[in-house]
Amino acid sequence: MEQQSVLRDWATWAFSPSLSVIVVTVLITLLVPLILHYLLHRQSDSTDVPTFLLIGPSGGGKTSLFTLFTNGTLSTTHTSQLPHTATCRLPSSTSDSSDFESEVSPRNSEFVLLDTPGHGKLRHHALTSLTSPSALKGLIFVVDSAAVSSAQGLTEAAEFLHDVLLVLQKRYVRGKRTVAVPVLVAANKQDVFTSLPAGLVKSRLEEEVGKVRLTKSKGLLDSGIGMQGGAGEDDGDEEEGNWLGEFGAKEFAFAQMEEYGIDVAVVGGRLKGEGDEAGQVKEWWDWIGGNLSR
Amino acid sequence: MLDAFEIITTSGIVLWRKHYTPVSSNVINSLINDVFIEERGGQKAGGQDGGTNPPYKKDKYTLRWTTGKDLGLIFVAVYQSLLHLSWADSLLTAVRALFIKQFAPELKNPNVTAIDARQFNQTFDALVRRLDTGSTRRPSEPDSDVGPPELTPPSSTVSAGEDEPPPLPVSASATFKKPAIPERQKEDVAVIDDTTSADATPVPTPDTSRPGTPAGQPVSGVLVAKGGPGKFSRRARKANSSMLSNSAPASSGDESPARKPKGGKTSVKQKRRWDTDGGIVEGDDEVLDYSASGPTSAPGEDDRDFDLTDVNADEMGSRTRKGEFVLKDLDDEINAILSSQSTSRASKTDPSAESSGLLSSASSKISGLFRNVVGGKTLSKADLQQPLQQMQTHLLEKNVAREAAERLCTSVETDLLDQKTASFTSIDKTIHESMSKALTRILTPTSSLDLLRNINNTITGPTSRPYVISIVGVNGVGKSTNLSKIAYFLLQNNFRVLVVAADTFRSGAVEQLRVHVRNLSELSQREQVGTVELFEKGYGKDAATVARDAVTYAGTGEGKRFDVVLIDTAGRRHNDTRLMSSLTKFGQLANPDKIFMVGEALVGTDSVAQARNFAKEFVDTKGQLRNNGVGMDGFIISKCDTVGDMVGTLVSMVHATGIPVVFLGVGQHYGDLRGLNVGWAVDKLMR
Ligand SMILES: Nc1nc2c(ncn2[C@@H]2O[C@H](COP(=O)(O)OP(=O)(O)OP(=O)(O)O)[C@@H](O)[C@H]2O)c(=O)[nH]1
Ligand SMILES: [Mg+2]
Repeated sequence: MEQQSVLRDWATWAFSPSLSVIVVTVLITLLVPLILHYLLHRQSDSTDVPTFLLIGPSGGGKTSLFTLFTNGTLSTTHTSQLPHTATCRLPSSTSDSSDFESEVSPRNSEFVLLDTPGHGKLRHHALTSLTSPSALKGLIFVVDSAAVSSAQGLTEAAEFLHDVLLVLQKRYVRGKRTVAVPVLVAANKQDVFTSLPAGLVKSRLEEEVGKVRLTKSKGLLDSGIGMQGGAGEDDGDEEEGNWLGEFGAKEFAFAQMEEYGIDVAVVGGRLKGEGDEAGQVKEWWDWIGGNLSR
Repeated sequence: MLDAFEIITTSGIVLWRKHYTPVSSNVINSLINDVFIEERGGQKAGGQDGGTNPPYKKDKYTLRWTTGKDLGLIFVAVYQSLLHLSWADSLLTAVRALFIKQFAPELKNPNVTAIDARQFNQTFDALVRRLDTGSTRRPSEPDSDVGPPELTPPSSTVSAGEDEPPPLPVSASATFKKPAIPERQKEDVAVIDDTTSADATPVPTPDTSRPGTPAGQPVSGVLVAKGGPGKFSRRARKANSSMLSNSAPASSGDESPARKPKGGKTSVKQKRRWDTDGGIVEGDDEVLDYSASGPTSAPGEDDRDFDLTDVNADEMGSRTRKGEFVLKDLDDEINAILSSQSTSRASKTDPSAESSGLLSSASSKISGLFRNVVGGKTLSKADLQQPLQQMQTHLLEKNVAREAAERLCTSVETDLLDQKTASFTSIDKTIHESMSKALTRILTPTSSLDLLRNINNTITGPTSRPYVISIVGVNGVGKSTNLSKIAYFLLQNNFRVLVVAADTFRSGAVEQLRVHVRNLSELSQREQVGTVELFEKGYGKDAATVARDAVTYAGTGEGKRFDVVLIDTAGRRHNDTRLMSSLTKFGQLANPDKIFMVGEALVGTDSVAQARNFAKEFVDTKGQLRNNGVGMDGFIISKCDTVGDMVGTLVSMVHATGIPVVFLGVGQHYGDLRGLNVGWAVDKLMR
């Protein structure tokens, strides 16, 4: 009874031609589409645009590549502290000259490039963005081909690459996102005198990742595992889950990642040329183009 | 004499820079690494308030910096440590204000990856001229009287120049170098010379040709401001002529009367003269200066042509007016910026409050409330204070030392101040996220420790030798226990381990180790893994000598019988100076590959002092702290199983020293040793 009368009162008010009703109505009519648009637009923004992630040890040339690709010119850079995104589009020459051009209209030649810091302390930025953007189309792991000729540089690159590949593998195994993510290992700085050619970068990295994988498996467990109140997931298969590539295989090869839908390509290039000569990045563009229209 | 000035984004892109001499990019990279990322040595850059960040020294350079936090910008001035550039700070402040003002629209766009900041060259040059004048004069007055050799070379150059009758144009400074000038001045002149030839920049000339105006600070500012354009054009023309003809007798003649007069009045007069001389000259100079100041980039050259043709067309008048306007404007602005930074800060907050009227202030309040829920709120200091206080208390409850908690909160505050909260994110959540990031960064080691690989690399190959690890710490934290755990882990990996009892002090220490070694030996025999042995020389011997003998024994003897040497040391109170200082000798004699310090998860505030005091003992023979200046290689935090969520000690110790936590002791068994999972620790701390 009470309720009914309240309801009736409300209805009467709602249909009365008073000022307040008009104001409320106008507000609702105006705001609802706005809010809806805002919400929907936000969502579509983050899901639709294909994203490529730049990752790799510090000083490899990620930010340089980022500025070149988004902006057309190579900026001077220093160590990055924060990730950075920007949209960029394939140069028309790329889509023309290669075999996948058929469907590359201007609209879908656009993509988002995400640059991440490579400093040891800041890798969580990169590793979390590995799992977050759902439209991750590919990963560009930039290495300094000259640095990997030294033991220390090689180990650093390999450890990072190992971790990255392992995250991708786990992501694939968990099956939440079965979309495979291809990886381009961009062997940068081919202009530098001491740099190794792409083929050698590949074999060195494979060998080193194999070693990293081995010692990681023998190393101490992480905190959190097997401790009371720990946050670690108690997978029975923990050991196998943390093993990169083919379980039990002695040698590591990038080909082993195909089982997990991860296609690894090692392609050489350079952002700077000798002297004033321009760099050579066409093959990297091609790789992006190929995976964009996939 | 400035060597370089750069404006960098936090994502690592150089937006604008000017190099007077070639400066390796490593110099600025290490500033970023040490100060911003690893936050070594004191405070992180203090956001908007700018002011006095401690200078950073690298190689022969001193770097001063300031940040434009809300836009993610870093402003860096680089100069040689020999010099004393008191005006660097003012320059930074002024450049920050002007750059942000000039490029605000572009900078606000988060997607921007580069901005065309070439126009800034002009502003910057004018700024340098202004400020350089102001500061060199100030020391130059007392300096020329007292004349100690360490004084800033620019000023001493000025006084030297005043003694010599002939004027000193830049091109002549090479010959000027020959007369007996003290070492430092010579260097400075050389630098100037260098610059001009490389860059054809007019900027260095102020150093040699500046009139020493005697005046109080604020007054002088005004005077110089008026004199600005006149000097500007002269100098620019000189730069031009020296650029075009490579020798500048005409301009040097020009310069001599300019130097002699010392009153502010003359400079005003000169200014007038140039004014009445007509806009053409000024306009011309404007353009030339513009071209000359863009030496670093090839595009600058194109610009010059473009601009000249521009002027040859009928734009000259308007250009001149514009140029004049820019400069006058600039002067006023610099005065405003420098005289009261606080004013500029106030004006920043003003518009929102001022643009009021009752209605809009009410509506802004409502939108503030709304934004707190929906996000998009710009965070002010007041917004942050309360939740940050709570966050600090929370950290203290987790056993984080007060010092570290305060620093973390400050760092979060600078991180968030004037930032907008993300959509549908409350302030608390934003702070929570920012704190998690700060903790992650502090706990994550710069390079991960892969002990097994390190050992393998050391014990194989032509230069193979045993790998030496030593364990230090205060009494009773579990040094021997953790050493045995490491030994067990190494045995599992088939290494041959020599355990060394270098605790020759506390009775029973050797026996305790002997028991451990016996247990480990039995275990490893049963499991058919590595072998372990004890090396001991009883009590009373010098620990450092015992350790060295053990290393020699392990590496030679019957065919290099050991892969790893684990040295146990005597526990010592960190404030026992005598025992502590013996660690230095120990570190040098035994020369371990890794020195780990064991700390207890249980201790509270003492942990910071412990960590610091131990770290500072490990200097090598050259007087440098080991391991890149941090002293030790890692912490082992014992008894982590007893503290639950209160793992704050990890943070305190890392924060105090910059040394990473490498292992955690989590129980009573040999197998209870863990690597640190940063995510796990942060999760516990933020829970
Ligand atoms: N010679 C040569 N130098 C290059 C090339 N690409 C990049 N560089 C240089 O390498 C340095 C580092 O490049 P960045 O782009 O800053 O490196 P990054 O990967 O972003 O490094 P972090 O931000 O620290 O992770 C810069 O000085 C570049 O100029 C190249 O192809 N050849
Ligand atoms: Mg970068």
